[in-house]
Amino acid sequence: MKTDMSIRMRTMLYGLMCVLLIPFVFPTWWMVTSSVKPISDIFAFPPDLLPRTYDWSTYQRVFELQPFAQQYWNSGYIALLVTAGTMIVSSLAGYAFARIRFPGADAIFMVVLLGLLIPAEVTIVPLFQMFNQWGMINTHWPLILVPVFGAPSVFSTFIMRQFFIALPIELEEAARVDGLGRFTIFRKIALPLAKPALSAVAIFTFLHSWNLFLEPIVFISTPQMFTLPQALTQFTDAYGGAMWNIQLAAATLTALPVLIVFIVAQKQFVEGLAHTGLKG
Amino acid sequence: MSQVSHVVAKSDRPRPLWTIKRRDQIAGMLFIAPQLTGIIVFVLIPLGLVFWYSLHEWNVLANSFKFVGSANYKTLLADPALPEVLTATGIFSAGLVVFNMSLALLIAVLLNQKLWGIVVFRTLFFSPVVVSLVAWTIVWSFLLQNNGGINAVLQTMGIEGPNWLRNPSTAMFSIIVIQVFKNVGLNMILFLAALQGVPKELYEAARVDGASAFKQFRRITLPLISPTILLTSIITIVGSLQVFAQIAVLTQGGPGMSTTVLVYYLYQQAFQFHFFGYGATLSIMLFIIVAVLTFAQWQLRKRIVFYEN
Amino acid sequence: MANVTLSQIKKQYGNTPVIHGVDIEAADGEFVVLVGPSGCGKSTLLRMIAGLETISSGTLKIGDRIVNDLDPKDRDIAMVFQNYALYPHMTVETNMGFSLEHRGGTKTEIAERVKWAAEILDLSNLLKRYPRQLSGGQRQRVAMGRAIVRDPQVFLFDEPLSNLDAKLRVAMRAEIKNLHRKLKTTTIYVTHDQVEAMTMADKIVVMNAGEVSQVGAPLDLYDRPANRFVAGFIGSPSMNFIDGVVENGRFTAPGIDLETPSFTAGETSRQLICGIRPEHLVIGGEGISAEVSLVEPMGSETQVTFSLPEGTIVGVFRDRIAAKPGDILTLGVQTDGCHFFDPLTDLRVE
Repeated sequence: MKTDMSIRMRTMLYGLMCVLLIPFVFPTWWMVTSSVKPISDIFAFPPDLLPRTYDWSTYQRVFELQPFAQQYWNSGYIALLVTAGTMIVSSLAGYAFARIRFPGADAIFMVVLLGLLIPAEVTIVPLFQMFNQWGMINTHWPLILVPVFGAPSVFSTFIMRQFFIALPIELEEAARVDGLGRFTIFRKIALPLAKPALSAVAIFTFLHSWNLFLEPIVFISTPQMFTLPQALTQFTDAYGGAMWNIQLAAATLTALPVLIVFIVAQKQFVEGLAHTGLKG
Repeated sequence: MSQVSHVVAKSDRPRPLWTIKRRDQIAGMLFIAPQLTGIIVFVLIPLGLVFWYSLHEWNVLANSFKFVGSANYKTLLADPALPEVLTATGIFSAGLVVFNMSLALLIAVLLNQKLWGIVVFRTLFFSPVVVSLVAWTIVWSFLLQNNGGINAVLQTMGIEGPNWLRNPSTAMFSIIVIQVFKNVGLNMILFLAALQGVPKELYEAARVDGASAFKQFRRITLPLISPTILLTSIITIVGSLQVFAQIAVLTQGGPGMSTTVLVYYLYQQAFQFHFFGYGATLSIMLFIIVAVLTFAQWQLRKRIVFYEN
Repeated sequence: MANVTLSQIKKQYGNTPVIHGVDIEAADGEFVVLVGPSGCGKSTLLRMIAGLETISSGTLKIGDRIVNDLDPKDRDIAMVFQNYALYPHMTVETNMGFSLEHRGGTKTEIAERVKWAAEILDLSNLLKRYPRQLSGGQRQRVAMGRAIVRDPQVFLFDEPLSNLDAKLRVAMRAEIKNLHRKLKTTTIYVTHDQVEAMTMADKIVVMNAGEVSQVGAPLDLYDRPANRFVAGFIGSPSMNFIDGVVENGRFTAPGIDLETPSFTAGETSRQLICGIRPEHLVIGGEGISAEVSLVEPMGSETQVTFSLPEGTIVGVFRDRIAAKPGDILTLGVQTDGCHFFDPLTDLRVE
């Protein structure tokens, strides 16, 4: 705020932030660099910030030990489907709750909000039974259907509703006079203007699906069907000990693409999140 | 007179079945149908089933399912593990919320300064949020090993570090710290947005009044961002009760029961020991805890939140 | 083009009535202004004509069609909103062509209509811009352009000038009036500004508390207000009201003794309210003696506040006045400058 900060003050602030950054940045740095170190160098003391020799064979091993490409594809397509589905379901519901008066709207909204209150763990037992009955155990259906339609999408619906409430209603009235029906107003006026909220929803949803751990280990049992977080924990030797360098290579492969997308589009990420209507 | 002609005018004109209002109502219901169906199928029915299961003794391996009334709830109250589980859960949630909120606020205040290159810092502080949770956890589990990076650094300073994740007194602390660094970026961004929403004139007025920087923070900043603090604390607490991956990967609830939080205990009972009925009972308890906490925080906002739009 | 007929239009929210049975007739090609203080129901009425609010009872006709239950899009109306309601994500061109697009016009038809409207409104070189790149006046013109491209039967304006600064407002007033002269489309225009109403309307409808107070041509309302509300609302500064007694062709009140040639009712001693417009007071006449309490020179005219034994009155004079606060002046009233109202019913008495 103050532009007239003294040099000493500024140096102190930079120093403080750099120290604070260590636990945020070092693990990622270390994960990436160690994934190409020979196993003996990982435990070198003192630790090296850059690898002395590069050993790319760990990356090859990642794909040999597990159907990692398949698992990568599983995680990717599930996350994209869930993101697209949630954007549709949540923007429709969020718009209706914000704009359309229909009988019982308030009561239904309260019921939907209940989804915010229920941790996934509460309903995991009956969901397992239900999907078992429908023969969907060890398929990806539970990992897609529940997030898109169930409790996880409620947060997105809430974000969309808050955003649509704040849109000037005159725009939609003008559109009605211009001859548009409800759905066309939604698609041609409200939705194009909701890009900031939609991008926040997309980011949240993608990360949530990409990180999902409990559901995959409950619903999925064969390596071909695994998603990445589940697969990462499976790189162990015959005695159950972790194969560190291979695990770190796989972790790097899992983390790096999202991280790169984030760094390129960090402005949209941060601003999308900041404008979610969560400001209170 | 006007009343009569009025009635005649009305009956003269047949009203169409699909009035503007009715068509809009149908549209509204169609718009929410996918979400509402999902909530019924994947939230409300499971919630009912959880309660129903909790009244049964159900062992999947033994293929037994019989009604036992409140027996599971009696087991729950007598469960010798329960106090330990609840203590672990409480320590985790309280530690996480306090550490997360204060660190988020500190970083947000730092990032709110007009300094060159602040965006780079913001990006780096936020970066763990987008790193896959299990990947992040695996890296830390490596760093926290007995012969891992943390202890190596401590050794250069002449300190003999503990085996962080295998020591009952440090395991929980480690998990909290790992989780905070992973997710504090989210709250940080929300706080930063709130800080930037505080009108500058208020600070200028306070400076004219001679308030110190600390006093400005306490008397202006904190009250004005209190709605954000409340909302993020609700989200953080409810989120903290769902910590699963970290514990499954790092400690599997150990050493002993020291990191067996409620959801992990639930998972063990239901999916490792196959006591579905008892697992369902634990689910009910988890639900009640979340509901009570949320309600309490919502009530608190009347007392704590100074300012709302 | 068509006439618009409202008969016994009522609106209530729940059990709260907000419009109490309104009858208005706008003839084909007429420029009708609905004017009244905020909260009088004028905007609600306009929105009911547009189809944005439902009509609780009564009938609304556009041309020969009853349109009560029709969607806005089927009423063949166009509306200009207070905040313009331009679609922020579309260019000026798309904004203006948008409604035609949804009525199934071909691309060339739409382009032609947009070009025609843009020429009329002097927007031709702004067509590729987005609303955020336009000034307030330009946005206003785009909003009008969007309305005229469709060549609707009726134009509806909802306080379209209230977001503009004073100078621009005067200019746009003339522009809207010009446009109406060119297109001769029936227009219903809502405003709270009586100057806008006076200068633009063929016919003014003064509304108050959900009811029509008076309908008439602008100067009729000024010359012969039907009740105290209209008398006070039309004209600036507002009409002075003085409680007094009429007896034998004279109006008397503390400090006042006026001859009332227009009011020679034989009845004796009737309690009435006399209304005098500030611009109808003359200095040096006869009838009122008052003390000057405030002098406000405006350049072109001088506004003077006088105190009477009971209350104050305001006068506006074309000449520079040398009076100072404290001076006692005698004032007269121009011929036909007195309006009388019944203190109980507030209605005009003649």
